[in-house]
Amino acid sequence: MSGNEAMRASASVRIEGVVKRHGTTTVLHGVDLAIEPGEFFVLLGPSGSGKTTTLRILAGLEPVSDGRVFMDEVDVTMREPGERDVAMVFQSYALYPHMTVAQNIGFPLKMVGTPSVEVAAAVNEAAAKVGIAHLLGRTPGQLSGGQQQRCALARAIVRQPRLFLLDEPLSNLDAKLRMETRLELHALQRNLGATTVYVTHDQEEAMTLADRIAVFMDGRIVQVGTPREVFSTPRTIEVAGFIGTPAMNFVSGAWSGATVTVAGVPLAVRASTDQPREVKLGVRPNDLRIVAEGLPARIERIEDLGDSCIVSFAAGESHLKLKSDRLHPVKEGDEVRLAFEPGAEHLFDAQTGARL
Amino acid sequence: MTGRKPFRSLALAAVAGVGLAVWVFPVIWGLLTSFKTERDVLAYPPVWFFKPTLDNYREVIFGASSIMPNLWSSLVVSTSATFFTMLFAIPAAYALARLKYPAKRASGFYVLATQMLPPVGLIIPYYLALQKVGGLDTYSGLTLIYLTFSLPFAIWLMVSYFEDIPFEMEEAALLDRAGRLRTLWYVILPQVRGGIAVTTIFVFLNAWNEFMFAVVLGGNRVRPVTVAMFNFISVEQTQWAKVAAGAMLAMLPVILIGLFAQRHIVKGLTVGAVKGGGRR
Ligand SMILES: Nc1ncnc2c1ncn2[C@@H]1O[C@H](COP(=O)(O)OP(=O)(O)OP(=O)(O)O)[C@@H](O)[C@H]1O
Ligand SMILES: [Mg+2]
Repeated sequence: MSGNEAMRASASVRIEGVVKRHGTTTVLHGVDLAIEPGEFFVLLGPSGSGKTTTLRILAGLEPVSDGRVFMDEVDVTMREPGERDVAMVFQSYALYPHMTVAQNIGFPLKMVGTPSVEVAAAVNEAAAKVGIAHLLGRTPGQLSGGQQQRCALARAIVRQPRLFLLDEPLSNLDAKLRMETRLELHALQRNLGATTVYVTHDQEEAMTLADRIAVFMDGRIVQVGTPREVFSTPRTIEVAGFIGTPAMNFVSGAWSGATVTVAGVPLAVRASTDQPREVKLGVRPNDLRIVAEGLPARIERIEDLGDSCIVSFAAGESHLKLKSDRLHPVKEGDEVRLAFEPGAEHLFDAQTGARL
Repeated sequence: MTGRKPFRSLALAAVAGVGLAVWVFPVIWGLLTSFKTERDVLAYPPVWFFKPTLDNYREVIFGASSIMPNLWSSLVVSTSATFFTMLFAIPAAYALARLKYPAKRASGFYVLATQMLPPVGLIIPYYLALQKVGGLDTYSGLTLIYLTFSLPFAIWLMVSYFEDIPFEMEEAALLDRAGRLRTLWYVILPQVRGGIAVTTIFVFLNAWNEFMFAVVLGGNRVRPVTVAMFNFISVEQTQWAKVAAGAMLAMLPVILIGLFAQRHIVKGLTVGAVKGGGRR
């Protein structure tokens, strides 16, 4: 298939005010999203935040309690899964164990009455794209985890659907394979040009794959943006704490002018205010420095990761982390002082957690 | 695999051998008896060596009170009971395993509870009910009664097979545009083939071996072979050799099925134990 065809095949997706209740518990509190054709869109959030539920609503596997779902501006809220022209890769892969790899991949085509010659050709093409053309005669039970994952992927792309849904497709793979497959997946998506919605709770995966990320917290979308935007300007303290490893450091302080005073120590920040107030000050571990003047802290632990090191501190009530490429000439138990470059700070309202 | 512990395996073999002997003895005895003349049967002490005869088989197959029509009766009743049982049990078990509906647990318990009632308690109500609708001594009547206990049993046995299939597999099929029916046909049923085979065999054997309902609810027209064997037991005399020959004929399909489907049956008996022990 040509790139042109693929572009035409990809759909835009929009959901409006989607609410999902299970009995008395509400798992989605009014979710709005607009996804562009051909976009690689990642739903990111902690466990139980409603990512899978949202994906299943897009697939039509889960009815909404309220709200509407549009594909290419057509209301599909009430359409059956089979009528939406979407393909999904499940976390468990959901391969049919009694069929061969070829039969698995060909199944979606067989179900719409494609002649068997065409099915065979399409199966070969899809299998080749994901690199399992040599495994067509096996059954899923005879495949490794990575090969099963590819088989599920091939079954999804064989029909050239308008929308791809992937629910943590890499979570069953080991770390190395996950990295490799991530790159391949990215290349494959670019090559196919199909709109893709990808669920993960792994922020690194989200950062590398996504055109845009929607961050879920407790059944709500708290931020939508490019990976860079979400990383550099998190909208809430939860998002800030969720994205980035090690997690962002937070301390309470009082902000006035261009200074945040933490435990009596004034720290310079770039943003300035004329309304003094209580804030949460966030600094990423990469931005923290050991300096002569700053917040006093005691080194609790030094982890040497080979190419970098992570130093943990206790500063009053708080525990902080610093990540650095070079090994600091310090040791556990040392008393040091910490600061950061003005501009590296993230300030959040102490009450609401909203970015200031 | 037990090479390291010769004693243990020897002891196990001995125990199994004794057990087997106890189980097999009546069958062997019956087999021998079926080739004896009526006089040899009554010989005391019993004779192990005798001149075998096929007279008994000739009599029960071609004689005046041939059991061939009864074998046919058994076959008709068992087959139709099995057919209808499976016809209803497969979708019912699927529903029980899958669909969410109120009182699901209660209905599951009911299905099992019917298995616990002693059948004797039901025989009179069944008799009266069948009499009311003119179902005594008819194939449909007896089949219907067999369904009342084979159906719950089959459903109960099949449910665990269906429950083993992950939900997502069906959802994948729905997204692949298979629809409910084709999902069942192409994705679900092939995966429960083993369960269907086991259940079919059990249901068939149960119906084939059934005696009590057959003797009360059957009659001159519908007389399964289990009942007909008693043709050879009368007030004046009991023709043990004929009974034995009839019994051997009646057992033949059971033994054949047993040999044929050994593996499936063992798996079915241990279905609870192996659940989840297979793939994934
Ligand atoms: N059938 C259900 N009945 C009740 N609650 C449910 C049901 N399905 C999901 N939930 C709840 O909805 C919430 C969101 O679930 P969902 O599966 O969408 O989370 P998720 O973001 O995909 O999490 P994870 O990363 O763990 O997969 C969870 O709190 C979950 O307990
Ligand atoms: Mg999930």
